[in-house]
Amino acid sequence: MKDLKKLITDATKDFALCESLTELDNAKSKYLGKDSLLTDAMRNLSKLPNSEKPQAGSFINEVKKGIESVLLDRKEAIQRNILANQLREESVDVSLPGIKRNKGSLHPITITMRRIEKIFHSVGFDIATGPEIEDDYHNFTALNIPESHPARAMHDTFYIDKNHVLRTHTSPVQVRYMKENKPPLRIISPGRVYRVDSDATHSPMFHQVEGLWIDEKVNFANLKGVVQNFLQEYFEDSSLSIRFRPSFFPFTEPSAEIDMSWNGGWLEIGGCGMVHPAVLEQVNINKDQFQGFAFGLGVERLAMLKFGLNDLRPFFTNDLRFLQQFKV
Amino acid sequence: MQFSKKWLQEFFDDSLDDLDLDEILTSAGIEVEDVKDLAKLSEDIVVGEIIDVKKHPDADRLNVCHVDIGSKDFLQIVCGAPNARKGIKVPCAKVGAKLPNFQIKKAKLRGVDSFGMLCSAKEINLGDDSDGLYELNSETALGESIVEALALNDSIYYLSITPNRADCLSMEGIAREVSALSGLPIRKENTCKNKVSIENNQDISIKESIACPRYCGIQLQGINNNNKLPDSISQYLERGGIALINPVVDITNYVLLKSGQPLHAFDQKKINGKITIRNANQNEHLHLLNDQEIKFQRGELVIADESGPIALAGIMGGASSAISVTTTNIFLESAYFDPIHIAGKARSFGLNTESSHRFERGVDFNNSLFALEYAASLIVKYCGGKVSNSKEINSKLPQREPIKLHTSKVISIMGIKISDNDIKNVLEKLNFIYKKNEDEFIVTPPSYRFDLNIEEDLIEEVIRIIGYNNIPAIYPHMQANMLALEGKVKSIENIKDRLVSLGYNEVISYSFITKQIEIDFHGNKNSIELKNPIASNLNVMRSKIWGSHIETLRYNLNRAQKTVRIFEIASVYKAEKKGYEEIKILSGLAYGDQIPEQCGEKNRDINFFDIKGDIENTSSNTLIFEKPKKIILDCLHPGETAEIFFHNESVGWLGKLHPLWQQKFELPKNTYLYEINMKSIIHTDNVTYTIPGKFTPVRRDISVIIDKDLFVGEVITEIYNSKISNLVKLEPFDVYDGDGVENTKKSIAFLVLIQDTYKTLEDKDVNIVVDQITNILKTKFGAVLR
Repeated sequence: MKDLKKLITDATKDFALCESLTELDNAKSKYLGKDSLLTDAMRNLSKLPNSEKPQAGSFINEVKKGIESVLLDRKEAIQRNILANQLREESVDVSLPGIKRNKGSLHPITITMRRIEKIFHSVGFDIATGPEIEDDYHNFTALNIPESHPARAMHDTFYIDKNHVLRTHTSPVQVRYMKENKPPLRIISPGRVYRVDSDATHSPMFHQVEGLWIDEKVNFANLKGVVQNFLQEYFEDSSLSIRFRPSFFPFTEPSAEIDMSWNGGWLEIGGCGMVHPAVLEQVNINKDQFQGFAFGLGVERLAMLKFGLNDLRPFFTNDLRFLQQFKV
Repeated sequence: MQFSKKWLQEFFDDSLDDLDLDEILTSAGIEVEDVKDLAKLSEDIVVGEIIDVKKHPDADRLNVCHVDIGSKDFLQIVCGAPNARKGIKVPCAKVGAKLPNFQIKKAKLRGVDSFGMLCSAKEINLGDDSDGLYELNSETALGESIVEALALNDSIYYLSITPNRADCLSMEGIAREVSALSGLPIRKENTCKNKVSIENNQDISIKESIACPRYCGIQLQGINNNNKLPDSISQYLERGGIALINPVVDITNYVLLKSGQPLHAFDQKKINGKITIRNANQNEHLHLLNDQEIKFQRGELVIADESGPIALAGIMGGASSAISVTTTNIFLESAYFDPIHIAGKARSFGLNTESSHRFERGVDFNNSLFALEYAASLIVKYCGGKVSNSKEINSKLPQREPIKLHTSKVISIMGIKISDNDIKNVLEKLNFIYKKNEDEFIVTPPSYRFDLNIEEDLIEEVIRIIGYNNIPAIYPHMQANMLALEGKVKSIENIKDRLVSLGYNEVISYSFITKQIEIDFHGNKNSIELKNPIASNLNVMRSKIWGSHIETLRYNLNRAQKTVRIFEIASVYKAEKKGYEEIKILSGLAYGDQIPEQCGEKNRDINFFDIKGDIENTSSNTLIFEKPKKIILDCLHPGETAEIFFHNESVGWLGKLHPLWQQKFELPKNTYLYEINMKSIIHTDNVTYTIPGKFTPVRRDISVIIDKDLFVGEVITEIYNSKISNLVKLEPFDVYDGDGVENTKKSIAFLVLIQDTYKTLEDKDVNIVVDQITNILKTKFGAVLR
């Protein structure tokens, strides 16, 4: 019986030599299998005198439990090992690049337009659009620029035929909108415009946003307020200020150029003014009841300033290396 | 418009140096484009006289000059100017002198030492002329600093004047504005009175009195037009950007710049009889002063004598009656021409003169006679001769109607409170004539202001003088009305975002393109042409964006890009019977690898179905792709083109670039192009929403062999149209036409999902559905089950 006690130490040693669950299973049968010493001892138990049976029985049981416990420990150790190995083998070089898709990008002009539209939309400006091949009436005459007015020469117009031009500004949209809608009204009209001009700061095609607000009392000081507020939000700079310089546009009176504070100086950013009574008359708005203002901003200019660019041409060259920098 | 500050100073007793002139002009509404300080020149540029000129031994175009600058040795200077000659005085930059862009050093030019440089007008800031030496007055003192000799303690102001402010196209106009804004009074000038000693015998008749409401003329006899004008006049003209011609012309230009009144001097001896201001007859000719020969259409206003036109009214004189240094008798004209009759005329002959620029915008009609007599007095003063009385013929001159100005309206437009008194101050500063009634001012604008017609025009004047800067920025109060959402319209923003996440780069390209591409590649013979394109290769409006896309593709392939996926949402233009049509489309191009080259991913070229998938993923609507039936686009591969339909309407195209075009554009790989009308993807179809059934669908696969030419899409449509109950999905998951399949056949495996809303399906129910499908496949499409 005493030999049985030694089985636990033997099993511990044997089990420790096992590296896999199969080996452990084989080793297990040596100690707990049909032909094992322990099973033998169990079988021989009946041959013992009755007085010794309980003691011998519990002793055998104790040894069995001892071996089983050692077995379980070893089994768990082997499983831990296997897992550790698996984890080690499965590990990856996390510094390798992720799976790449094509780099999509939004055009910087689109990003800029969205920004402008969202800011104005937040205070209830609706967005209006109109045709790019515009008739002479909407592009000029209705905007108080009659035939042979020297102001037409300011526009470097592309002509399609005697009566049609590529719109030189998005202002014709305000004429169309005012004809269709009754005041009070607030719109911006963004879009492509065209002028015969091409260099580092001029493109024959560019984008403009025109704003219009007609109501009973909106005034010149309000115009300044709206433009300043917009530029502050656009450039995320609440200390940004603007100044107006007297200027001339046939469709506004008084008219002003808009300068904004920039790098310690002033930078021209657009034009504006109170809608000329002649324009209101053209669209059948009672000029004694309503007044309002309009302003025009160059989208490329706003984009260049926001993105820190000093040349406008890359906007239309469509070099993917340039464009792919502009993520949504 | 440009002017000398010194000249402006002559209008004021107070010094202008204490004013911020730049700021004053700006707040008057006059844009100051540039200010050039002439005094910023080195003391080392002095007056030199060329003593002798020898050909450079080793260079044809260079001369070796010896120059006396008043010191004991002459300077040897190598010079290339064509007008370098003995005896002239010129600005001489000594060694060490600092010029705007460089410093003068001792140099060796082709082996000859040179100790300085002789200067052109450009180098001393007096103009853009760099072709020849700037010749100085012979009386200037040798060695004197050029700043002293040319009175360069001056600045040139370069202005941009808006078309409404013709009154500022003169020194007097600028002075008026400076005075109104600064408060400095303008110096009173003595009125000139000519001593009339001859009788004006020039007959004048006006046929077109609406176009020419006023014409004044004066005669001068026995003048010497070879005299010299005082330096100040020449300097003011040069600094005003006007070239010197001869004394009489210079004086007329001087008066023009000073008062804004264009004048014209005719050689009296070359005028044949009576002068008539009339419209030109068809086929009449005139040889202009600038040597241009013009042929009249009809109706251009001319000054004519008895033998024909001698001047293009208000624009330019004719060569035949032009004056020269030998002219002794002149007839001087000063007129008022109606802007509407002059406008556009100069441009139609390709001309833009100082005179036409002013008449088009409006010249002070009350100043015609004064300017004429003033010019005559200057001619007598500097060229001698006798002067006649003036003749003046008037008809209906413009009237300045009084305008009512209400303080309440000013407040309403400005948005700030101001008083009657403030307005009074403004009107007085501007020297406007006004009356004050109870609640209104009645203002009569001066004759030189053509831009004041309505109350708003006067309000602008009030704001201008009060100062645009003094208007606060006030955000308006408004009703907080909410804006409607777009409803069933999907925003363009949304479409763009989807395309961007699918790996597309948004591009923006010009709406105009080369005509040849429009005709051949876009297949549009009825292109919309621009009358005045910016470049000959951008001469028509595009009806497709693909041509621009190909250009973008080629540009980027030349810059080592391997994958190009681009899109643009823009209008395309078509000439229709009823006018020009603009259609907003989404257009795209895809080229190159399906995904970027990288480790761990197998790569391949993109194919038709990649792009079809992109379009399907972009649209929320079900679009139908069909083999084109009616229209065939020559630019696409006939076997790899689909016409896109939405609600049975053709809305777009997808296809592979035709191999011939691929070759022509030198593209190594396949290129896919698509376009789709935005209407079909931003308007979302009505959708009925349902809750998914509790029972899981049963999947069955059906594998068949069908004819290769058969479109799987047609098969699926046919089966769906048969409305088989419990069939929820039928979709191909494998297409095979390789080994083991006959050449004319292909093998298709369909996945079928069958589901009942109310119960779990039994085998027999499922088989009914499968049988129905196989039946259609067999009978309608001749399919053989595998």
